[in-house]
Amino acid sequence: MTAYIVRRVLYTIPLVLGVCFFTFVLFDMVFSPRELAIQELGKHADEQQIADLMRSRGWDKGLFYNAEAGGLKSLTDTRFVNHMSKLLLFRFGRTAKTHEPIGRKIREGMVPSLTLTVPIFVLGLIIGICLSLMVAYFQATYLDLGAVVVCVAFMSISILVYILAGQWLLAQHLRLFPIYGYAGGIHAGRFLILPIAIAVIKGLGGDVRFYRTVLLEEVGRDYVRTARAKGLGERLILFKHVLKNAMIPVLTRTVLAIPFLFMGSLLLENFFGIPGLGNMTIEAVANGDTRVMAAMVYLGALLFAFGNLMTDISYTLVDPRVRLR
Amino acid sequence: MRRGASRFARAFWFGLLPLGLLLVGCSNDPYPPPGDEKVMYGVLGEDPHGLDPVQAGDTLSHGIISQMYESLFEYHYLERPYALKPCLAESMPEVSADGLVYTIRIKRGVHFQDDACFVATGGKGRELTAGDFVYAIKRLADFANKPRGWWLLQGKVVGLDEFNEESVETAAAGGKMDYDQPVAGLSAPDRYTLQIRLKERYPQLKYALQMSYTAAVPREAVEYYGEDFVNRPVGTGPFRLKEWRKRWKLVLERNPTHRDDFYPDRGEPGDREAGLLDAAGSKLPLVDEVYYTIVSEAQPAWLLFKQGYRDASGISKDNFNQAITPAKELSDEFEAKGIRLTKFPEMVVYYVAFNMKNPVVGTNKKLRQAMSLAYDTEWRIEHFANGRAVSAQGPIPPGMFGYDPELKNPYKQFDPEKARQKLAEAGYPGGIGPDGERLEITYDIGSAVPAARQAALVFAGDMEAIGIKVDIQTNTWAEFLRKNKDGRLQVFGVGWILDYPDPENFLQLLYGPNKAPGPNGSNYDNPEFNRLFERMKAMDDTPERLVIIRKMVDIVVEDAPWIPGTHSVSYTLHHQWVKNVKPHAITGGNLKYRDVDMQLCKRLRRQWNRPNYGAVGVFLAVTACAALLLGALRRGSAVRSAQP
Repeated sequence: MTAYIVRRVLYTIPLVLGVCFFTFVLFDMVFSPRELAIQELGKHADEQQIADLMRSRGWDKGLFYNAEAGGLKSLTDTRFVNHMSKLLLFRFGRTAKTHEPIGRKIREGMVPSLTLTVPIFVLGLIIGICLSLMVAYFQATYLDLGAVVVCVAFMSISILVYILAGQWLLAQHLRLFPIYGYAGGIHAGRFLILPIAIAVIKGLGGDVRFYRTVLLEEVGRDYVRTARAKGLGERLILFKHVLKNAMIPVLTRTVLAIPFLFMGSLLLENFFGIPGLGNMTIEAVANGDTRVMAAMVYLGALLFAFGNLMTDISYTLVDPRVRLR
Repeated sequence: MRRGASRFARAFWFGLLPLGLLLVGCSNDPYPPPGDEKVMYGVLGEDPHGLDPVQAGDTLSHGIISQMYESLFEYHYLERPYALKPCLAESMPEVSADGLVYTIRIKRGVHFQDDACFVATGGKGRELTAGDFVYAIKRLADFANKPRGWWLLQGKVVGLDEFNEESVETAAAGGKMDYDQPVAGLSAPDRYTLQIRLKERYPQLKYALQMSYTAAVPREAVEYYGEDFVNRPVGTGPFRLKEWRKRWKLVLERNPTHRDDFYPDRGEPGDREAGLLDAAGSKLPLVDEVYYTIVSEAQPAWLLFKQGYRDASGISKDNFNQAITPAKELSDEFEAKGIRLTKFPEMVVYYVAFNMKNPVVGTNKKLRQAMSLAYDTEWRIEHFANGRAVSAQGPIPPGMFGYDPELKNPYKQFDPEKARQKLAEAGYPGGIGPDGERLEITYDIGSAVPAARQAALVFAGDMEAIGIKVDIQTNTWAEFLRKNKDGRLQVFGVGWILDYPDPENFLQLLYGPNKAPGPNGSNYDNPEFNRLFERMKAMDDTPERLVIIRKMVDIVVEDAPWIPGTHSVSYTLHHQWVKNVKPHAITGGNLKYRDVDMQLCKRLRRQWNRPNYGAVGVFLAVTACAALLLGALRRGSAVRSAQP
């Protein structure tokens, strides 16, 4: 297993480098250094000032080849190498607008993000599995049919609709929750109930459909028939036997999601004003702050690789037949 | 099976009860419980771009910075036309006879706010001196600070341009400027006297000394906080920064060591009746705290205003019909809430510019006049601005010295018939040129936002109506600037927002030597206009100046290097608990004059935001019924599956 983990970790190197490479090229196309310089200097900037700023930032060097430097330096003193060498060592630098260390901002933003995403994840998982067990239990009844209709509807309507409808109904009309805002510590709860409820409900559609399919596949197997023949109760069969055996696909879906809880939620945070990492990323996109974007993409790639690895390892925990070599 | 069903129902009821209890304790108030302080609540669309005065280039950042930092002069809050009065200066500047030497006395006994950066005094704010302004102006000239206001003093102060050039070199080499190095035109002959020596007459200097760019900045703070200075404002202003959490909130609080600063006792006629002088003589600021929430989405920001959780709001296009009736008055719903509407002409001009260097439009005056006649301003005002704009006749917006309400630009009266006639005179009868081809014009826009595109399409439609074909080019702002610099634009739409209330700020957009890449994007260069401009810019607002300005406007109207579009009118809503609201064309440190009736605010908020328990009850009842029905259904299916 150690060898397997080492191998997998090595696999992540080209993956992460590749992701960073593509995003770097893309960012450069969308937010060209010249444009960033103009944005920074404002409406009265002249050509000379723009050129000066670009030179002082090293933005006038080549992307991958710096003809001016000469020798080996023409390959190493380029924008890409400068960018990557800092990124790989987690030296993210400071934000463009307010010169705050990006590392600190990420650590600070993680707290509100986690207070939002962890309850969504846990509640979504528990409610999703319970409901899908129920639906599987009532398989081929009107309840099951109704659940299919509701689930498909949930899956096909955009979360924006839920957000706006939730804000309109619960916050504006029933006046139960604040429409927007955040508070630290214990007071955060009031602001989080609505977005959490919306995200859980929105997530249920897909989850219930997925878990139900997985569960039903298991229900059709021989051991279930044997258990029924033995006279075990339906509830016991579902919770004790079927659920355990359906864990592999469930784990694939959930363990992979865990690392991304740290990244926050772009839409929910933006619409409800929760000052987490999703919100920070949106702001970076709006301001063309490529350093923040690059840091988030890099962390995202690392977390994705980590999540994949965790998923594989978790298989061995729930299914003794799986061996990692 | 019956037992199972009842257990299911019991679980359901046990779940419902706490849910109901939870909802009883709910409220939609987004703020921490208030104390007895007077608090103003506002919304910012995004975080300020840092709080360094030399970077206060955008309205939003400047609006915050100017509450904490003060400059030598400030605008009268109530008096019109806009006039400056001393702020940190003791009096208005003494100007030498040749207009080149400005001597400004500084108020004594003004202190910076207490801050940890004042190490020598153990955190107590130091007294303000003239040296602080010398330092601040040098900072404005230092390229390393990315100053957005350097253009104000560029080429004006003796020795300052050399300082600026050196700072560019230093920044490129990775070094730091030495602020002890003297600049010939900037000096502090004594502790409370500032002297500025100019290279040429520049009466607009007083406006530059009002802006946050030249606000007093303590050197201690810049050096103590380094890169973090943009987040740690230390000024002399009425407020100081209490808390700034990015993308969340920005809270200002009363600066307890703010100088003696009092509410004005003079205003325009009508101000007394409007209650604007009730606070005359009160010590400023009038409120204890200003609480801004950062709300980037328009919809929640609007709802927060309707709920009473922010004091003031603009009106977006989407919500316009909710708040304003077709007669441009407040709707009944808003009237009933006691909300007040302020309409206010902004000092802005939006226009379509012709590149005068372009061989087609630049040399053909009649063609430009024809296109101007075909431009339907009223339609645009109604459909793009909900009526919130006035048709521009020339470059100077209403409210500005030199604006002529009587002016009727003969080429700005929408008249397609006359336009066709002019077009024929221009050599393009029916839009067909001498070569037998249809006239084709390129119209460039510097943004891909839908509004810019729509405006361009309407322009194309207007021109099509008289037979001119328009090719619309969408650019990024950077591309647009580059095309402008290279003279590759033909016809394009832009706007200008004033920097200071002097007509020079608008007329310079047409001054020959300012041509691209300068602000004169149309490359208009009329020797007579240039000559008048040079005379006018160094004059005070005298009747003689007015005559010259009128003459200049007439030249521009006849030459038609622009199609003057619109001057926008801003509509602002205020709740009734906000007091001393008077719109001002120049955003600045005006929050200190505002007051709130906290009792009224709290009462109305409670009244408007009582949770709607009735509807909640109905909702829960419906859910309960559905659950019971489901239980019954389940029993039915259980019975069915029990049958062999």
